[in-house]
Amino acid sequence: MLKKIDVMNHGEKVLQGNEACAEAAIHAGCRFFAGYPITPSTEIIEYLSEALLLQEEGSFLQAEDEISAMCAVIGARWGGKKSMTATSGPGFTLKQEALGYAVETETPVVVVNVQRGGPATGQPTFSSQQDIYQAKYGSHGDYEMICLAPASVQEMYDFTVKAFNLAERFRTPVILLADEIVGHMREKIQIPEQIAVEEHTPVKHCDKPFGRNEKNIPYAVHFFEGHNLLVEGQLHDEKGRRIGHLADKSGVFVGNLIDKIRKNQGDLVDIDHEFLEDAEVAVIAYGTVARSAKRAVRIAREKGIKAGLIKINIVWPFPEEQLKELAATIRTVIVPEMNMGKYCLEIQRCLKQSNVISVPKLGGIIHQPTELLHIIENETGERGR
Amino acid sequence: MRRDIRIVGAGGHGVISAAIILAKVYGINESCNVSQTQSYGPEARGGACKAEVVVSDHDEIDYMKVEKADIFVAFNQLGYEQYKKQTKRDGVILVNSSLVTVDPEDAQKVYEIPASEIADTRFKPFAVNIVMLGALTKLLPKLQYQSTRDAIRGNFNQWAADMNLAAYDAGYHYIQNEYFLKKMA
Repeated sequence: MLKKIDVMNHGEKVLQGNEACAEAAIHAGCRFFAGYPITPSTEIIEYLSEALLLQEEGSFLQAEDEISAMCAVIGARWGGKKSMTATSGPGFTLKQEALGYAVETETPVVVVNVQRGGPATGQPTFSSQQDIYQAKYGSHGDYEMICLAPASVQEMYDFTVKAFNLAERFRTPVILLADEIVGHMREKIQIPEQIAVEEHTPVKHCDKPFGRNEKNIPYAVHFFEGHNLLVEGQLHDEKGRRIGHLADKSGVFVGNLIDKIRKNQGDLVDIDHEFLEDAEVAVIAYGTVARSAKRAVRIAREKGIKAGLIKINIVWPFPEEQLKELAATIRTVIVPEMNMGKYCLEIQRCLKQSNVISVPKLGGIIHQPTELLHIIENETGERGR
Repeated sequence: MRRDIRIVGAGGHGVISAAIILAKVYGINESCNVSQTQSYGPEARGGACKAEVVVSDHDEIDYMKVEKADIFVAFNQLGYEQYKKQTKRDGVILVNSSLVTVDPEDAQKVYEIPASEIADTRFKPFAVNIVMLGALTKLLPKLQYQSTRDAIRGNFNQWAADMNLAAYDAGYHYIQNEYFLKKMA
């Protein structure tokens, strides 16, 4: 249930994206953070190492490595604290085993990945969107992931709050897929006087602590509330008993992990769009690249070109039906990404009637609006007129 | 109205610190929308460093980085040469003339200040960014002398604030004397 709470230090501020994320975590009720510092996410850890300790019942752990940080936040959530960890690509890779564990144990935690260029150590101080698939498919096994892509410092704040709320509501890890640009960028933001925070009333003394509600989402249970809880990595039934050796029950359980997201996908759509009414060409983007796209589309409109913008905020689960509806009449779709062209494949699969053009970018830098504008002009035959 | 500011130099010059102070002054004191970004290598010192500040009176800032700059500030030769062409035709260039030799074709729009020399001889070498910030204050719209001073004071501890405020004044008065008062006389 969403509950309105007052925010103490609200108002206008000039903050860095990583600071806004850390501040939002505290406002959303995060009281445990574990992490292992890594550029370009380190400011989140630095900020929370002080800010959390000023909170009643707040605690902070600088872990010995990435996977232990991930494991610690899972443990903390079962202990009753909302928890978060933050990292970048190399650390995100190392967390994957425990991330799958969070999925399987249906533990609501927030994982921030401030992406940098990869593979491997890659480009510590440069940006990328190369982890877009790892965010969805990084751990082994079948599951659905919820993943948000902020494009501004304001969205770093707003989406962090939202990530906590979605994690609690769907009892699953949620990934905030930021990138170096938005993590290190400073902007003026508005911290609201009140925010809505998902608060569960824990279920007390039930005989099926891993049972599900009518939306297929498990109950909120913690340790120390009187349940007999067995929280572990093997598939389990409603009572927490191991069922890995039972094909039918195992299939149902994994199906539930997937269905609790897929069947509620309508609640997980967050798309901004502009100028779509008469658009012949549209740019579809997520994260910071959406801001280059927005500028390019606005300049195109000033020149009389019928261009539109679709900015996807919740990138996973993929908003298939909504995108089909929004882009139904659009002839050409341009998909710029700071990677080899990955999310574009999903869009091509979804928008079969449109000409979908991938605009990949490697090397750690963002597309400039003028280069996207040139592509828009080429596709609409406006160039060189 | 949107203004695109680009500052380049070497790691350790304080390029990003100067940009952060600018962003805070514009965002908080002048009630503008502001986006400040940066680009640098993994080294703590040395290596190319670039910071950008986009300021807008009212409008939302869509693209948060700078393509062509309205105001281009170069702390060293390498940065000057790399980015001077990415300045608007009617743009303004400010250079640290201790380390930058200006291309004659830019002479019309360049303001020069020997900022490293001023910082090294009168303050500390690392105050070069604040000397440049003082000079920049004279060239930027809507940037108030007093509110920038307040922001500097808020950004440093007492000792560093006093030195940086003096460095700021030195930069501010240099440009005022060399370019504005002389012209009037």
